[in-house]
Amino acid sequence: MDLRKPERAEALAAEYVAGTLRGGARRRFEALRSRHPELDDAVRRWEQRLLPLAEAVPPEEPPLRVWRGIERRLWLATPQPATGSRWLRAWQAAAGVLGVAVLALALLLAQAPAPPVIVVLQGTGAAADFSGGFVAGIGGDGRSLVARPLQPVAMPTDRVLELWAVPPEGSGPPRSLGLLRADGPTVLSRDRLPPTLLRGGAAALAVSVEPPGGSPTGTPTGPVVYAGALRL
Amino acid sequence: MPRAAATPEDLAHWLARSALGDRAAFERLYEATCGRLFAVVLRIQRDRGLAEELLQEVYVTVWHSAGGFDAARSQPLTWLSAIARNRAIDSLRRAAARPAAPTEALDTDTLEDERPGPAELLQRALDRQLLGRCLEELAPPQRQSIALAFYDGLSHAEIALHLREPLGTVKAWLRRSLQALRGCLDRSH
Repeated sequence: MDLRKPERAEALAAEYVAGTLRGGARRRFEALRSRHPELDDAVRRWEQRLLPLAEAVPPEEPPLRVWRGIERRLWLATPQPATGSRWLRAWQAAAGVLGVAVLALALLLAQAPAPPVIVVLQGTGAAADFSGGFVAGIGGDGRSLVARPLQPVAMPTDRVLELWAVPPEGSGPPRSLGLLRADGPTVLSRDRLPPTLLRGGAAALAVSVEPPGGSPTGTPTGPVVYAGALRL
Repeated sequence: MPRAAATPEDLAHWLARSALGDRAAFERLYEATCGRLFAVVLRIQRDRGLAEELLQEVYVTVWHSAGGFDAARSQPLTWLSAIARNRAIDSLRRAAARPAAPTEALDTDTLEDERPGPAELLQRALDRQLLGRCLEELAPPQRQSIALAFYDGLSHAEIALHLREPLGTVKAWLRRSLQALRGCLDRSH
């Protein structure tokens, strides 16, 4: 796909939004779009132009089971044993290390009623360029979590890091806890944390590489680059 | 009981709250937009079971990428509709074969199905000020090509089949109509 000519990029963006760019060409265009902001801008402009057409379609209420299905997919883990072994391997590789960072985190969490739980996430070697590690501190009540890189991680501009709680093997798929800053501490919002995090709900924490905004599917789509077991 | 229509500001607020993990806000967002997005998906993917499945995938994506919504760059409904449309169009690619001949389904413009056909939908869109005025400037077959592509997710080849025109002609119409629309819309802004 030759995008050096701006009018060609513009025409492709138009056909993409109109819906006539199909098959392999559509996939290639989407891949290019994620790497070329000017292409993304062209798509957004075309969406602003054409999508008001969709307002003419009379709304149609979906049955209640659709919402139930969304809730189930997002918030109720259903057993998916197929993903277990890869996760198990990833976090079994991790072991405890490091003093200073752990202490700093312990201080951050000192106001929590029970002693914090510290997890060290080490590089899994799943992708080059991800050296170092992360350290995560979970408030003893399981209601707060702070994670920070041991040293800033250099991220490609179109990739982000996402933190996952990995349940014990066989008890469900990983659950997203949110996106992580690569260059400093991230404090995760308390309503993103599963209430069972410290009560057997998670066996490990893991970090995967994802597209901007995080995994589009609800499970990790990129390589798992850091992982650490949760030892209670 | 009809709910008061949510404003774009409401939708943007609920999206922002969803990005922070607020499930209640996400549910409000779903309630306010599911009818519209389901209609968009269902136009393109006519298998209801599949369309319901797709709608679930759409909202799972919305929950996970709500943080990527930028109110400065997109209208919330536009952003949501784009996710729904793209998912529906992708599902056509995934399906081994499109159920039945789309041309047949399209002839229901006037009968069977009470759903308005693409031509009628476009007529409704024509009533909407600016975009409508710009669409009016297109020649009828070009307008129809856009309606078939946009509303029913037809490919170039399917539009050609439906309009009984050579593929090359249809491609050229579509390209020219989109250019003309852009010219008209951008001029008027």
